[in-house]
Amino acid sequence: MTVRMGFVIITSRCIDCDACMVACRSENDVPLGHTRNWVKSSGVQGQFPRVSEMFQPGNCMHCDNPPCVSVCPTGASQKRSDGIVIVEDKKCIGCKYCLTACPYDARFSNSETGKADKCTLCLHRLEQGLEPACVQTCLGKSRQAGDLNDPSSVVSRLIAQYPTRILLKEVGTGPNIYYIDEAVPDIPDGK
Amino acid sequence: MSKVYTWDQLFSRRQFIKGSVAAGVLGTAAGIGLFRPESNLGQGKSDQAAVKGTKLVTTICEQCVWRCGVIARVEDGVVKMLEGNPDHPNNLGKLCPRGNAGIETLYSPDRIKFPLIRAGARGSGLWRRASWDEALSYTAEQMKKIKDKYGAKAMMFNSTDNLSQPFFEILLKAYGTPNYGTQRSLCFNSMTTGFLYTYGTPQPGTDFSKCKYMIFTGRNLAEGISNSETQEMIEMVARGVKVVVLDPRFSKTASKATEWLPVRPGTDSAFFLAMINVIIKEKLYNEAFVNQYTQGFEDLVTEVKDYTPEWAEKKCEIPATAIRRIALDFAEAAPAAIAHPNWRTSNFVNSFQTERAIAVLNALMGNWAQPGGLIPDQELSTLKLGVLSHPAFPIAQGIRLDGVPWQYPMVPLAYGVIQTMRDNILTGKPYEAKGWLISRQNPVLSIPERQKTINALMKLDFVAVIDIQASDTAYYADVILPESYYLERFDGLIPIKNKIFIRQPVVEPLYDTKSSLMIYKELADKLGLGEFLPFKDEKDLLSQQLKPFAVDLEELQRVGHYEMEDFQEDHSKDFEFQTSSGKIEISSGIMAQMGKKAVPTWNEPPRPEKDQYYLLTGKTAQHTQMFTQNNRWLLEVFPENRAWLHTSVAAKIGVKMNDNVVLESEVGKVSVKAYVTEGIRPDCIFMVGGFGHVSKGLKAAYGLGASDSALHKTITDPISGGSALSETFVTVSKA
Repeated sequence: MTVRMGFVIITSRCIDCDACMVACRSENDVPLGHTRNWVKSSGVQGQFPRVSEMFQPGNCMHCDNPPCVSVCPTGASQKRSDGIVIVEDKKCIGCKYCLTACPYDARFSNSETGKADKCTLCLHRLEQGLEPACVQTCLGKSRQAGDLNDPSSVVSRLIAQYPTRILLKEVGTGPNIYYIDEAVPDIPDGK
Repeated sequence: MSKVYTWDQLFSRRQFIKGSVAAGVLGTAAGIGLFRPESNLGQGKSDQAAVKGTKLVTTICEQCVWRCGVIARVEDGVVKMLEGNPDHPNNLGKLCPRGNAGIETLYSPDRIKFPLIRAGARGSGLWRRASWDEALSYTAEQMKKIKDKYGAKAMMFNSTDNLSQPFFEILLKAYGTPNYGTQRSLCFNSMTTGFLYTYGTPQPGTDFSKCKYMIFTGRNLAEGISNSETQEMIEMVARGVKVVVLDPRFSKTASKATEWLPVRPGTDSAFFLAMINVIIKEKLYNEAFVNQYTQGFEDLVTEVKDYTPEWAEKKCEIPATAIRRIALDFAEAAPAAIAHPNWRTSNFVNSFQTERAIAVLNALMGNWAQPGGLIPDQELSTLKLGVLSHPAFPIAQGIRLDGVPWQYPMVPLAYGVIQTMRDNILTGKPYEAKGWLISRQNPVLSIPERQKTINALMKLDFVAVIDIQASDTAYYADVILPESYYLERFDGLIPIKNKIFIRQPVVEPLYDTKSSLMIYKELADKLGLGEFLPFKDEKDLLSQQLKPFAVDLEELQRVGHYEMEDFQEDHSKDFEFQTSSGKIEISSGIMAQMGKKAVPTWNEPPRPEKDQYYLLTGKTAQHTQMFTQNNRWLLEVFPENRAWLHTSVAAKIGVKMNDNVVLESEVGKVSVKAYVTEGIRPDCIFMVGGFGHVSKGLKAAYGLGASDSALHKTITDPISGGSALSETFVTVSKA
């Protein structure tokens, strides 16, 4: 079976510390003023004192049907065979079509290179057998990454065990970040 | 005479590039601030060959005081990535945002790059470059002059928690002054004294892993990150443990808790006294434990008789039914139930009583040294480093300026009361202070009434500051001795249980800076006190610390830690309490001696007048106290502090999200953006501390947000010495 790389993000374990954002900036030399990933807050919901707040980390969803790839006029935006969506810098002409095409606002124009920029799932780390920087540093083990097609991966085991949701299901992009909101007491072992 | 520089010139990027440390810029000018220190490569240290290529170096983070293990990836002499060390118990392989951002502090253009001596009026921002020899000689001369003319006591020494602090303490003791300032009275004095006078230990641990019921009161682990403890908290929440948070503000910890109780500020002790009332009335305490290990239970029974949940509800505004339910459930979970000792509960004069009530509640549950309960002091089970032998210290002459113990008899000398020290610089009583040596501390932004602290600095004959950056306090100094950043230096070793960890240089110093170890040592030499810090260099000192162990420094540097095998933890003294009675003191012997009520009791806290609000202060996960606001990576994730206002208050004064508001207290006034939310009591305004920097040397942080220290009144708990920050009330209006 083909590899399909993606994330599982357990929102109940996120404390909105933003360590993932700083680790990504450090690992990927992301210029100031831009970010490849984020933690969004629901804001404080409800009325004092019955309130709640939820934190939702995110980044490029490495979609099954990535609109950024289909609008790219030069073929710079690509979906790899392992599912990771990348930008091939040499081919990118900085037209920014992909920025507007992405319904998750996961891309930006790099002010230093002029190219489209985004999460690579830390491809260079994966190649060395390391976890993506955001996953490695996460204090709450909220962020998990791996092969969604491999039933023995952490991400597949989590998806098998807990109800999940995806963002903007209706637009049909087939995003590969699966969110779990329930409490997850134990992160399963796995690849 | 060397050229005189303004702060702007000193810390502009142009000056930086032109500076004596020839440095090339990596990437473009608009880049991420990574500078390659070409001229420094390959100098000095052993592994010059490793400059080209990639290496991993194990060290200890210093972006806060938690001391997490770090593995630094260095590529061609440039630090590219910091990751948590999985072998380090303080962080288990993870780094928080501040830890991840260490690289930006290292390569910040705002680092102090060489020693500076003031070249205009104090606070004018005019400086000249000095050599280390000149800067240290000048500092030593001034310190000697003060000692000769006024006695050693006229010199004050301040430092904050760091790995080299023991050596700073040696310097001050050798110099012979009684005046030592720490940051503790601004932080958690009421917690440490409350537990010290109950259990004989100031900070017992907490076993999150088996705990079934946790009550937090001023321990906001999601925003005041203590890495391993924050991880334990997240795991505890994930396991479905009952977590109750008392906080007037809906903190991120509260958002993770099973129950948030927006307690009226300053009334937490009413909640705990009522819990004790219920637990005694229902006979839910651990009778055998109480009989064997505590004293004063009968006095407690009498004291809490009238502290019913209905009484408490009127004080703390938590429903009596909730207090009763929590008391019953908490007792049901005991001994795997903890009322956390907390941290920043210490914001009212009555906070000592709050902490005493919490300490006593734990004792009634018999959770001491039980799975899921409080953990006794680990000192006996921690490796002991080799120590330097030095002559006996001179006896410090004179009483302390901070009132310990003559004004504050119960405050331990090691904690002190820094706000009173500051006040007595201004009053000149009981004697005039003349000089201040401050190592990596920023009293201008930490002590209440910022203007008073600036006035105190202006009054002194001599001020020297050791820091890595131009802190607000450094801005008012006569001499700045630039410390190397933690990624460039050694510090004293740190033992944790059966392991010893090392902080070591990941790269050579980028600039003309030194470790604080060498600054203290060379200053001691110049003062004629060299025999008190008898080491040649850092490696010599660390080797002496390692002497008792079967490992040499080179091996420790390579591996990053040393682990003693077959190390037996010693729990033989777990139930020997270092109190005057040798028992857990429900009724405190020392409080009785002082003629005060010996059991936890209720003291009515002050309340704001009409149109005034409680001013609350606290932490954010993205910054450390007053230290990291200039870090641009952290400013990306937390750009400035804002004043939290309840929606109804914002509507009343006509303010929307991010509008500017003016906060005014009896002592100061600031303008700051509003954060409008349902997540705060309508009688409270909250702001994160540490913003509102006045130093123009902190170019990224200067002008961002507002400082709580400009608003805080100076109110001190006479028992714990704690600064009662939340007894400052403010008015709020649209700017």
